[in-house]
Amino acid sequence: MYQWAIEARGLHKRFGKVEAVRGLDLDVARGEVFGLLGPNGAGKTTTLEMLEGLVTPDSGRIRLLGLDWAREGRAIRGRIGVQFQSTELDDKVKVREAIQMYGSFYPRARAPAELLRLLQLEDKAEVYQSRLSGGQRQRLALGLALVNDPELVFLDEPTTGLDPQARQGLWDLVRGLKREGRTVLITTHYMDEAEALCDRIGIMDHGRILQLGTPAELIASLEQPSFAQIEFRGPAPDAGAFAARLGLPVETRAQHWAVPLGDPRRDLPHLLACVDALDVPMQQLHVRRASLEDVFLQRTGRSLRD
Amino acid sequence: MHVRLFFQQVWMGLKLYLRIPAALFWIVAFPIVMLMGMGTVFGGDTPPGVTLAWERAGAAGARDLALQQALQERGVTIEALDPAQAEARWQQGKLAALLEGQGERTTLRINRYATAQGMQIEALVQQAYLMVQARAQGAAPLARIPVVASSPGGHHDGPYAAYLLPGLLGLTVLMMGVFSTGIVDVTLRAKGGYKRLATTPLPRSIYLGAQLCVRLIVLLVAAALLMLDGALVFGVRNQGSYADLLAVEVLGAACFISLGYVLASFARTPEVYSGIANLVFLPLMLLSGVYFSLDSAPPWLQRAADVLPPTPLLKALRAIFNDGAGIASQAPGLALLAGWTVVLFVLATRRFRWV
Repeated sequence: MYQWAIEARGLHKRFGKVEAVRGLDLDVARGEVFGLLGPNGAGKTTTLEMLEGLVTPDSGRIRLLGLDWAREGRAIRGRIGVQFQSTELDDKVKVREAIQMYGSFYPRARAPAELLRLLQLEDKAEVYQSRLSGGQRQRLALGLALVNDPELVFLDEPTTGLDPQARQGLWDLVRGLKREGRTVLITTHYMDEAEALCDRIGIMDHGRILQLGTPAELIASLEQPSFAQIEFRGPAPDAGAFAARLGLPVETRAQHWAVPLGDPRRDLPHLLACVDALDVPMQQLHVRRASLEDVFLQRTGRSLRD
Repeated sequence: MHVRLFFQQVWMGLKLYLRIPAALFWIVAFPIVMLMGMGTVFGGDTPPGVTLAWERAGAAGARDLALQQALQERGVTIEALDPAQAEARWQQGKLAALLEGQGERTTLRINRYATAQGMQIEALVQQAYLMVQARAQGAAPLARIPVVASSPGGHHDGPYAAYLLPGLLGLTVLMMGVFSTGIVDVTLRAKGGYKRLATTPLPRSIYLGAQLCVRLIVLLVAAALLMLDGALVFGVRNQGSYADLLAVEVLGAACFISLGYVLASFARTPEVYSGIANLVFLPLMLLSGVYFSLDSAPPWLQRAADVLPPTPLLKALRAIFNDGAGIASQAPGLALLAGWTVVLFVLATRRFRWV
């Protein structure tokens, strides 16, 4: 079997004056769950649409499952599954009908009953899709992406707007895809989701992949593996004087200061001494491991959900 | 494989169409409602009676009585009013004309805002007054030129419903294209429905072909129901060949469904599309002569209407349906319609976008 699910080289795409993607390279191995993260406007959607064959790159080459989009598009479409953010279905189509209809597009399709069981939508089979809850609708969208038993699945923000329980349900489905040996490319706004699901993550901004690696590698790449979090009752005060005395950078967030620690044994006593000396109205002190969110902030200078 | 896929798509499309009450109403029920409503209101053979308000200060003189008699012979009902009543009614704008008798002098006041009705009353009053004068001079009984009410076209001497029905057939085609097709196209593109389909191996020609086929089937069912209604309620029947009627209907559908796709390609959201669609639909409908003939419109407007696609469609439908004309006799108009269809179809396929 061919080793790579996705091979993209030197992708460029410009829309009028906006250069959405500028020189993107990406390799995703078969069986991998790969997460594409980036703030809005980073070029994620354009990248995804080029990989899905919806947008033709201005330059560069894409091969999926060893096939070339330019020459073997039809064969590729038969072997990939795509799930979109929004419900793109007719309001008045019933769940089972949607699965049957999408199945009819492919030479080989999974049985509707099997998919309904997998998605836990058996009792909703005869319901109009517009009557489904958000979580059910996302599961249906995922089911339609799986109807042709695809080797490569694209998931675009599959859990946006879902409650925690529905998210867990979707995560289980995605983990199931990995167990079945499918390759998954997923975009998300949620760091915990990326950490929970992805084997590897690419952080995107300004049309390029800024950093690539496993979640652990990305976190380890930060020079400060842990953070001290000084919490206040009410909004955090100005940190200027404190930072000057401490000699370390202090990030002011809504209700706390975050201080990256190189070596907690050395830095923590000094930090507490500074708190005492300046009589900082600290309520609590937490020390936590650096997270993907910190990696993201440092690489893009932006929070993911801005 | 492809044939089966095509029929599956058509079947699914029909099922989905039937589940949207609004779409069904506008295409299937609305023409029938219009035919019933307008066919009944304007269908009567006897024109509604004319009432003349007559303001008289004192008792009627001999001449007044003669005029009154002459007016009644012409079928005019007279409503006598005293001056105060007459003035009040006039000020409220409720009278189209008011005959005012002041001693020897009689004047007819015509309401500037209801001139059509006012002039009809004036003609009757003037005739009656001439009759009174002729009788006073001892003339023999006056003869009149006989009048026959008849519908244009010749073969079919039918009621207004007969004029309206083929017009509504054409209007349905116009609405199907501009509203039903265009709005679905814009919505699907805006919601990402086309995008999603484009990631599957479903051949795009099969998808679009099935969409066209669904719309054509709905149109033909709507046309059949409308003609059934016309036959049962008004006794209006197709005088020509059903094959000719079908051919013209299909050509019209091709033209206006293409127009729908062209218009839709200029709108990004359904809201914008509604604006564009109404902007195009209203003039086309008004200029097409669906409800009334454009004969009394200014010549430049008639010439403009003649080159727009609804006019040849309606003319051909009327000629076949009302006069039993063969399709060949409509060749020039249909050639114009076919020309529009080619232009719009090419434009529609060029501008069509999946993403």
